[in-house]
Amino acid sequence: MSDSTNDPVVPAAAVEAEIARLNRRLKRETAARKEAEAIAERGLRDLYQRQQEISLLESIAAAANEAAEVEAAMQHALSAVCRFARWPLGHLLLASENPDEALLSTSIWHDESPGRYGALRSLTESILFTAGIGLPGRVVTTCAPAWANLGASDEFAYPRFPEAQRAGFSSLFAFPVMIGSEVVGVLEFFSPELQSPDQALLRLMAQIGTQLGRVVERQRAKLRLMHDALHDPLTQLGNRKLFLNRLQHFMQRAQRVANYQFAVLFVDLDRFKAVNDGLGHQAGDDLIVATAQRLTACLRGTDLVARGNDTGSEDDIVARLGGDEFTILLDNIGNPQAPVRVAERVLAMLAEPFTLENQQVFISASIGIALSSSGYTNVQDILRDADIAMYHAKQHGRARWMMFDQDMQEKALRRLQLEAALRVALQTDALTIYYQPIVSPGDGLIRGFEALVRWRHPEYGLVPPAEFIPVAEEIGLIVEIGNWVLEQACACLSRWQRTYGCAELAMSVNVSALQLSDGDLVGQVARVLETSGIAHGTLKLELTESSVMADPDHSLKIFHMLKGLGVQLSLDDFGTGYSSLSHLRRLPIDTLKIDRSFVSKMDSHEDKRQIAEVVVMLARTLGLDVVAEGAETAAEVSALQEVGSDFVQGYFYYKPLEEQAASDALCKQKSPPVT
Amino acid sequence: MKGIVFNLLQEVVCKEYGDDTWDQLLDDAGLDGSYTSLGSYADAEVVALVNAAAAALNLSAQDVLRWFGRRAMPLLAERYPAFFSPHNEARSFILTLNNIIHPEVEKLYPGATTPVFDFESVEGDRLIVGYKSARKLCALAEGFMAGAADHFHEQTEIEHPACMHHGADKCVFHVRFHK
Repeated sequence: MSDSTNDPVVPAAAVEAEIARLNRRLKRETAARKEAEAIAERGLRDLYQRQQEISLLESIAAAANEAAEVEAAMQHALSAVCRFARWPLGHLLLASENPDEALLSTSIWHDESPGRYGALRSLTESILFTAGIGLPGRVVTTCAPAWANLGASDEFAYPRFPEAQRAGFSSLFAFPVMIGSEVVGVLEFFSPELQSPDQALLRLMAQIGTQLGRVVERQRAKLRLMHDALHDPLTQLGNRKLFLNRLQHFMQRAQRVANYQFAVLFVDLDRFKAVNDGLGHQAGDDLIVATAQRLTACLRGTDLVARGNDTGSEDDIVARLGGDEFTILLDNIGNPQAPVRVAERVLAMLAEPFTLENQQVFISASIGIALSSSGYTNVQDILRDADIAMYHAKQHGRARWMMFDQDMQEKALRRLQLEAALRVALQTDALTIYYQPIVSPGDGLIRGFEALVRWRHPEYGLVPPAEFIPVAEEIGLIVEIGNWVLEQACACLSRWQRTYGCAELAMSVNVSALQLSDGDLVGQVARVLETSGIAHGTLKLELTESSVMADPDHSLKIFHMLKGLGVQLSLDDFGTGYSSLSHLRRLPIDTLKIDRSFVSKMDSHEDKRQIAEVVVMLARTLGLDVVAEGAETAAEVSALQEVGSDFVQGYFYYKPLEEQAASDALCKQKSPPVT
Repeated sequence: MKGIVFNLLQEVVCKEYGDDTWDQLLDDAGLDGSYTSLGSYADAEVVALVNAAAAALNLSAQDVLRWFGRRAMPLLAERYPAFFSPHNEARSFILTLNNIIHPEVEKLYPGATTPVFDFESVEGDRLIVGYKSARKLCALAEGFMAGAADHFHEQTEIEHPACMHHGADKCVFHVRFHK
């Protein structure tokens, strides 16, 4: 017996329904499984993709950081991208430094099948991809990635498409390398498969483009630093370092190659300081820049003419050593006349007026030339000799060139010795002061003295002031010497004034331009007046026209302060400089000194006499005294008397005297004349 | 062997012979048959299934693989349309096999071993395809190629002059496609 509850008879319909239900459940489960699989696969794929992207970026970043050259970083990026995207061919184009120029189609490729794409590669390297031309050109125009697909309507716009197609490619891509918004390079790739980049790839390539842009930027900064280290920022000419580098190079070539010669020209502007002081530093800078341009033009334009037999001029350089000093290095000169021709052209070009601060300014230069044929082995030596030759050109009246010779070398050596000896002289009392009486020609009486420094060297004997004063000025020792003379002369005057009871007796002391411009002149004078106790108004400071006119405003200020101390002021060498009469009127001076060049032989040269007359008239108009210096003959003295010079100084009356002799002369004058 | 291959085989068998046949094949092969596309399973299991199918259908194992490969292609096209859409012919699609299989397998199963294809173009419509795989599933590859031709509505003639099963170090197919 079967138990119906335990063994029910299930109707067929119910079984069918159950099966259908189970089938539906199975389908649901299968669908759910497939969906879960799909989701997981998508996740894994995305993760994988992301990891690939990250490792690509990391590898490019690492290469970018390590690469010494832009090219190496780019090469690495090309290869990494090709591997990542499975593209067999990638190429680099670099933007030219000049933004208007085309892309440089480099020979840097990633090519997985060398040889196979030869035709496409040579075609690519031969095309000038200016803005808009080909895919790279489109990238430059749009600053955005660009791609082209075989069969697309615009495929004919791309010059390389037929060749790319022949090589088996279906799609071309180009991505920009950017610095900010500037396209500095283009990476292009060729794909055998027809594809368009998806968002992920575009994002990735944008990051790579930025990353590589930084490499280019770093390279540019490095080049700029290197350039700056070797160039003068004002003129963009080479600097001393670059010049010496090139010079070294030339010198080595000269030692190696028979008959190879070069020349160094040392160019120094004449009176640059006057422009700087007179028209301001901006004008000074403008003049330097304009000079640099003329010098450069001078070399560029005319080398063939200058050189005769020449082999190329690219190696000639103009450099700025600093201040107003320029050097020109002439490569491979045929003969010694070549640098002379260049020097003459430089002089001619600089003789043309410059326009500075809306004024026409005339400038000249002094040029020293040194030739490699003298067999130099040290760059400093040839530069020094060119410098010495330049100095001689200046000494011989400026606006000229001189070629270095051995005599110059000896003179330069003597100068150096003088410099050293002069420093010692000041400390060893080798300097002494001579006093030249200043006489009123009417009664022949001594009214004052001019203090003149003399140097008696144990070896060289008496060194003429014309030789050592410029040296002292140049090395700055003149301030110390000037102060010493001032002290000594005032102390001496004080003694005479007391001894001979002549409170009117005056002392003239020369003041150099250097003392006027940056010494503590006023303080020094005040101290000396105080210490010496000389009578008020008996110290007379003599300044040359040119030192006063170097900076008239400053001079005026100092003059007023000196006048405040009761000091008399005298303008020395009057008529030899270029003072303007309007400045002269403003200056609170007391005396004009007629230069000895007008006094000498003035009795027989009417023009000199007329100049002296004019100076005296001018002095009268301005209420000034006149002292004539350098009077040697009775005829000159009487001529001076006729034109009305108040005082006369010169060998006719007295030559400069040692203190004792001067004292004797004063003493004699005090005693009644023996009749 | 990757789970996807088992899934495809199941789908193809179920589609043509019904779900019961698949169950029967699993029973015959002594396998429990829970395969997910994300999993990786012993190569022996696919061999057992193919052998079971060969016995049931009275075909050689190679024929079963060829049949399977050919029938699986439409399913793949359905699952992964992105691999097919750039192409308008079987030949260019087949040329990308390495590029599809390698990264896709690598994505899901890092470190997996994959077959390697090489290609040599002879004349316009002829292609010499090399196949090298430790699994020696050249028949499956042949089936895939035939399936690809079907997908692009092309005729194909495939010769198999060298085979790893006959001692060659790689299989070589001479394939000719025509519309």
